[in-house]
Amino acid sequence: MHLILFSVFGLVCVAGAVNLLLQRHPINSALSLVVVMGALAVEYLLLGAEFVAAVQVIVYAGAIMVLFVFVIMLLNAGEEEQTHGSRVAWLLGLPGMLAVTVLICWALIQDRTGQVAIGQLPGHPADLAQLLFHQFLLPFEVTSILVLIAIMGAVVLAARPESVQETKREQ
Amino acid sequence: MVPLSYYLVLSAILFACGVTGFLIKRNIITIFMSIELMLNGVNLSFVAFAAHWQQLSGQVFVFS
Repeated sequence: MHLILFSVFGLVCVAGAVNLLLQRHPINSALSLVVVMGALAVEYLLLGAEFVAAVQVIVYAGAIMVLFVFVIMLLNAGEEEQTHGSRVAWLLGLPGMLAVTVLICWALIQDRTGQVAIGQLPGHPADLAQLLFHQFLLPFEVTSILVLIAIMGAVVLAARPESVQETKREQ
Repeated sequence: MVPLSYYLVLSAILFACGVTGFLIKRNIITIFMSIELMLNGVNLSFVAFAAHWQQLSGQVFVFS
């Protein structure tokens, strides 16, 4: 049962990711990314990580995708122009990428330590919060400082043209 | 019961798709979406390892 669910949603996930690459219009890529996020949430549920699955749906499939769609609509992003690229990139890059992917997958499947069956995980939100706010409290706070710096950077970048105009007016 | 390696293979495929999109896409928003795809692939491997070792610290990494 687990294996069937894993295969179905894994295939959906990979199909969405490949579709993201093939689509030329950004809004189509964004919608296929929603499919990938939803399928990944099911994979998290299969792993027993119920809280992570809920957060995945709320934050990734909800907030971040809304952000993407808003940016696409605000910038009025059209279809990307198609260039054929250099021939060296096609001749070396594509087989190289495929070879590396196949090599990694082969090495992972060959690894005997990965044969342990995945059972139920104690992914209870209370345990997670206990860990997050006791053992990992310092990294958590450092992450919040990182987010604060990102917000300040966004404000500075958004406010820059106006301040430049003001200085020009003063001159 | 799904072996750990299957999850890792799925995560590697997602990461490879993200890298490919990062390299071949021209649109800046689509490049950002490819980076999100890579992030999600890594998150999946974190959760899979957390389930494998029965330790919750792997899931905590997903949030940061």
